[in-house]
Amino acid sequence: MKRAHGTINQSGSEVVNKELAKAREIGVKVQMRAKMERLIVNKDGRVVGIEVRKNYRFPDEKSGSAAFIKAKKAVVLASGGFSRDVRMRMIHDPRLTDRYESTNQPGATGEAILAACKAGAMDVQMDWIQLGPWTSPDEKGFGFVPLFCERLVGYGPMINPKTGKRFFKETGNRKERADAIILLGDPVIIMGDTYAVNKQVFPNALQKGMEVGAIKKFDTLEALAREYNIPVDAFLNEIKRWNGFVEKKKDDDFDCIIFKDARPVLEAPFYAARLWPKVHHTMGGLVINKDAQVMSLDFNPVKGLYAAGEATGGVHGAVRLGGVAMADCIVFGRVAGKNAAAEKAWS
Amino acid sequence: MKIKKLAPVLFCLLVFLAAGRLLWAEARLDMSKAGVKGGNCAACHGQDKVLSKGHVDTKAMNWEACRACHTKDNLSLTGKLPNSHHHLLAGVGCIECHGKTKTPEELDMDKCVSCHGPTEGLAQKTKDIKPTNPHTSPHYGTDLDCNLCHHQHTRSEDFCGQCHSFNFKTP
Repeated sequence: MKRAHGTINQSGSEVVNKELAKAREIGVKVQMRAKMERLIVNKDGRVVGIEVRKNYRFPDEKSGSAAFIKAKKAVVLASGGFSRDVRMRMIHDPRLTDRYESTNQPGATGEAILAACKAGAMDVQMDWIQLGPWTSPDEKGFGFVPLFCERLVGYGPMINPKTGKRFFKETGNRKERADAIILLGDPVIIMGDTYAVNKQVFPNALQKGMEVGAIKKFDTLEALAREYNIPVDAFLNEIKRWNGFVEKKKDDDFDCIIFKDARPVLEAPFYAARLWPKVHHTMGGLVINKDAQVMSLDFNPVKGLYAAGEATGGVHGAVRLGGVAMADCIVFGRVAGKNAAAEKAWS
Repeated sequence: MKIKKLAPVLFCLLVFLAAGRLLWAEARLDMSKAGVKGGNCAACHGQDKVLSKGHVDTKAMNWEACRACHTKDNLSLTGKLPNSHHHLLAGVGCIECHGKTKTPEELDMDKCVSCHGPTEGLAQKTKDIKPTNPHTSPHYGTDLDCNLCHHQHTRSEDFCGQCHSFNFKTP
């Protein structure tokens, strides 16, 4: 489904780059390396500023020194989610120990959300934490394997190395697939033959994924099985079974969507990568209204406090669709910014 | 038996750790020392042995003199000496960056650019570095703050290494 515009660098960072350039052009001071410590609320319950640690050096909690920034009209929180905050995410989903890495930058931690809660904000759906089922334990961060895996589902099977068999619908949603892999307890394999890989996977992603060793190439299916300690006979039978489903374009086992131009897995060499979920997005966060005002525990807006993007919750439901986080940021960011600017200064 | 076998390894480890400790001796940022020449280790480090055993006297040396022995390929100093020392040895002392002050503040990257030139030019210079150019990226273009990788008073870091395996050796 078409639901997002791509950026020139294929990353949300380009949106930020453009915003930063504009902010600098109109003279906005961007304060880097300032860690937010708390919101400052006056006796009327209005947010009037924040306390930060200036010259903070992540993640050294002793670095920097206290400084205060006054907010004449309002504070807009756009601090992102808490995918990298192991302690916080384990409160809400105890499965997500440090065995699960994240596709996010290391500063994706939850202090700003907690600071808002301390100032009276309400949170929602905090345990709806999205894992990418397409990430690899053999490379850092988001990596290249997601670009390999998501182009291959519906063209090649996902295999549980312990049994040599498929275990879940390859074209299932992020949550269903990640949960299925977690339930197995160990990494699984995504694979495709030369036809599928050449047709579907961008050459640059394939090359770079192979360079870092996360994607591997095999002359035979037997060699692939040996590499991942897959029982060979069971695996070869499963490939035969999958190929039968591809021929008739119907998966009797897991109802995977098999694309029209998919062909049986036959053409050597074969390519494969291991998959183990990484924490990708936190759907939960601060409750906002349509004006991007943060809501308090008494269901009224917290005066002078707005929020947008992943710091907020309740926008995406349980399984955020790929690409729409940018729409969330831009739509509610703009709403928040305009309304914050229209607030009456408190002094 | 096991201990005996391990002893040389442990000894080497200790030497290595000690060497690391010496090279990265505690920074003592004292602006009263602002006029000190870069090669005059003792002026700031006192009696601490900050150079390797048998190292020639550096008192009168500048960066060019260091480079007589320490080249990029031989006895490289990359990652072994705080960048503030490189600056000092090249004649750029505390005051040149921080101004005349008793309480030096953290600096913006504008200060780096004012001497080293625009980052676009830097990216051009490093375009052939493998596996990828460290001075431009899809995320930030050429605008990434110098100080995220190149620290002056602590060990530099590979900022990209948070998410990528480029394994840059950052000067």
